[in-house]
Amino acid sequence: MNKKWKRDDLIVRSLADNYLPIALVLGFYVILHGNISPGGGFQGGVLAASGVLLLYLGYGFRGIATAINMERMHRLEAVGAIAYVLFAMLGIFAGYNFCRNILWYSGNIGDLWSSGTIALMNYAVGFKVLTGVGFLLLLVIYLLGMGEDEEHDGTIPTMEHEEGGLSK
Amino acid sequence: MTYDVYMHFPVLAIMALFVGAFLVTLSGKREVLRNIIAGAAVLIALTLLALLIKPVMVDGEIITYWMGNWEPVNGYAIGIALEVDALSLFFGLLVAIAVACSCFYSFQYIRQDDARGGYFTLYLMLAGGVMGIVLSGDLFNIYVMLEVMTFAAVGLTAFRTWNPNAREAAFKYLVVGSIGSSCVLLGTALVYAQCHTLNLAQISALIPGRMNPTMVLAFALLFTGFGCKSFMFPFHPIAADAHGAAPSSVSVLISGVFTKTGVYGIIRVSYFLFRSMGLTSMQTGLVFIGCVSMFVCVTMALNQHDFKRLLAFHSISQIGYILTSLGLCTALGIAGGLYHAINHTLFKGLLFLTAGAVLYATGTTYLEKLGGLARKMPQTAALFLIGAFSISGIPPFNGFYSKWMIYQATFEKASETGSIGYALVTVVCVVTSVLTLASFIKVGQSVFFGQMPLEYENVKETPLSMRIPMWIMAALCVFTGVAPNIMINYVIGPATGAVLNFPGYIDAAMGEGYAAATITDTGYLAEPRLLTIGAWNPVNWLLLFVVVLAAVFLVSILGKRDRGEVNCAPDSKHAVFFGGEESQYSHVASGDLFWGFKHNLRGYLGFMSKAHSGVTNDYVLWGVTALAVIILYCFAFM
Repeated sequence: MNKKWKRDDLIVRSLADNYLPIALVLGFYVILHGNISPGGGFQGGVLAASGVLLLYLGYGFRGIATAINMERMHRLEAVGAIAYVLFAMLGIFAGYNFCRNILWYSGNIGDLWSSGTIALMNYAVGFKVLTGVGFLLLLVIYLLGMGEDEEHDGTIPTMEHEEGGLSK
Repeated sequence: MTYDVYMHFPVLAIMALFVGAFLVTLSGKREVLRNIIAGAAVLIALTLLALLIKPVMVDGEIITYWMGNWEPVNGYAIGIALEVDALSLFFGLLVAIAVACSCFYSFQYIRQDDARGGYFTLYLMLAGGVMGIVLSGDLFNIYVMLEVMTFAAVGLTAFRTWNPNAREAAFKYLVVGSIGSSCVLLGTALVYAQCHTLNLAQISALIPGRMNPTMVLAFALLFTGFGCKSFMFPFHPIAADAHGAAPSSVSVLISGVFTKTGVYGIIRVSYFLFRSMGLTSMQTGLVFIGCVSMFVCVTMALNQHDFKRLLAFHSISQIGYILTSLGLCTALGIAGGLYHAINHTLFKGLLFLTAGAVLYATGTTYLEKLGGLARKMPQTAALFLIGAFSISGIPPFNGFYSKWMIYQATFEKASETGSIGYALVTVVCVVTSVLTLASFIKVGQSVFFGQMPLEYENVKETPLSMRIPMWIMAALCVFTGVAPNIMINYVIGPATGAVLNFPGYIDAAMGEGYAAATITDTGYLAEPRLLTIGAWNPVNWLLLFVVVLAAVFLVSILGKRDRGEVNCAPDSKHAVFFGGEESQYSHVASGDLFWGFKHNLRGYLGFMSKAHSGVTNDYVLWGVTALAVIILYCFAFM
């Protein structure tokens, strides 16, 4: 990586400012309409997670470290996965099989809320992918930043497995 | 459609493990909470599967569970199914037992390491992936779970990141494991293109009408892919490197559980989907691979200087037994193979746990550095002896019984077909068993007996929480050895029946009569005969001993010839990947109990030493060569 490249560049930062909301809105749109249009939780989640990269391009490592809590993002990924399993288990509680759509008769065809629990499972997948891919990108950026001296100013977000050896 | 509550148990068992994995992430640094979650997840999975024994094993029911109630429409299975017959449940139970024992062991065992949260997440992911493979009824889901399992296993191999060997082994594992995964994916794609369905039962019903060169290629790819996952012969060096570097509690999973999914996949592909095991050529091929794995790996094991590398090679050697026995395609052979599969999981799990206990107490697994630990760790030594006797086939323990079944099955096959080849297979099995015992004498002598180095004066017995899982495994080793009739009646028998009962499997998923409508040649396998355990013909065995004696004479005559010097010395550049590192000090004469044996086999061992170069490219080349050979073989004989 070219070390002379400045992350404080005004043009890049302005573009990031403008494109970050667009990326997030597009991502959430695709997640939200996953049940009635092409795309879905996975695709929308990846789109929204690209916001992490825009943030990095615009504000550099320090910006990311102040804006995003890496540890929390890691945990929210697990929450997304558990939420998916719980929504899928609703089928069992309703007397059918795992993953069964139990409110399929709700709403009119084409409405946003018309697919019952499928939509909820889709949102859970979107949330999991958003946080999971976001965490992966953060990890990659963190590893890239390790090679550059000026980034070692204490703003590096801590990772769980960096602090091993502590036991109660 | 009526539902019984136990229909939900398979999916809940899988989900318990995956949810456990994510909850462990949420528990953060609270160690007690994390242990409770992990323990609860594995116990729930074990309990749910144990409750299925009654309907599936005893009543002979086949559970078909359609996700989201997407049942077949117009004879086409569009939904994703879990299908649990006795074979699936057999492997599921074996997985659940090993996972539970190893999980409780690792609470204490990994206390010395950092990143313990990540450990249990990956551990439960690996367990869930394996459980998903064995309980699934969908070819693509099997592939997805195979990938989950492989990547979790790679991550766990590299768990001790401070150890450069672990990182190197994980990289090799990743590369060579990807060959297997790619093969399975390509095979799945070809099958899907030909049959337009991914449901195992429907594929099985459709294949006889669509057997064309594409399907032969698909079979070869699937077979090689699952073979790679079971570390059969050309893939075996990866297993040794991975086992040597991974924590022992993970080695239990890789050896006892991970390789079994490969065996399970081979059974499903060969006996259910393509039903190619009826062909003599396929039987010969599988038996040949099994014998080569068995013999090559046991001779490799004799040369090891590291406790866990030695166990790793034995692991593949025992997989060779299982493949050989399954390749016979007789009821007794299948039963023997399955029995050996569960026994292998138990005794190899026990041995890896004792190796872990030695590592925990002394900090090393190099055989030359250790010695005399029986005085300091009497219970671990006793447990090791139980495991060693089991794997070597000493009568009261379980290895004897399954090996006896395998000897008998191979010998019966020889008398049925009248071919001398199968008699030779019996000889290879017996010789391998003897060499197994020999190498465990070496381990016992180097680790637990003999002179104790001064530095281990203060070594203590492992904590109780580590010993209890080991004792449970040891008790199961003894139980499966002294009560084979219970095992055969309730576990092995139904599983063997399930292997031979593919029309029942198809009908359970696709509706009554589907198999009869699509398949005409249901009689490729004979009706499962009553297992003739213990019936043996003395004349045949006398002949066998004559053959063995002749083999011994042959070897001793050949040994006289001078074959020149082959550099088998441990200090050559690549010998580390052959026999592991050798330490300077040793209380064994010449550094090894079996130096004479090695000296006499120096021609063969020198070749093997060169072959195990430790270079990933070489191992990939071996794997690709194996794939090419298997594809050619299938095209020539299928």
